[in-house]
Amino acid sequence: MAQLRQDVDEFVKRNAEIVVVGPENARAFAAYWQKHDLPFIGLPDPTASVLKLYGQEVNLFKLGRMPAQVIIDRAGVARFVHYGHSMSDIPANSELLAILDTLNQES
Amino acid sequence: MSKIALNTPAPDFTLSDFQGRRVRLADLRGKKNVVLIFNRGFA
Repeated sequence: MAQLRQDVDEFVKRNAEIVVVGPENARAFAAYWQKHDLPFIGLPDPTASVLKLYGQEVNLFKLGRMPAQVIIDRAGVARFVHYGHSMSDIPANSELLAILDTLNQES
Repeated sequence: MSKIALNTPAPDFTLSDFQGRRVRLADLRGKKNVVLIFNRGFA
């Protein structure tokens, strides 16, 4: 989350809303958001309903779900989908920002 | 539990944020690009 946090202004400039979904409960989210001063929407999903809807990978040997990122354009279409294979398998901010630039140029 | 495909409509969902406000993905349609992040470890 620190990686996203440092470039949040760049995401805002590109008319992007960052929405974070995780399996922890609301209390854990609230504490984490406060501690790290995160300006994102944080959605606790302890029943994993959305995690399952989006097919987030579960790696039983690494104790849980791997990170995933989806960029959805203003028409509601998934334009970038990345399912990580490890906890550190996360695209660079520059990659996400470049995709947002492309989407904004289309409209 | 299939992965979602590129260039197809993103499945809509509604969840409450950690402050209890309802957030629906479709409500952002027509307004914002959405960077949807799945992660864990917010404890």
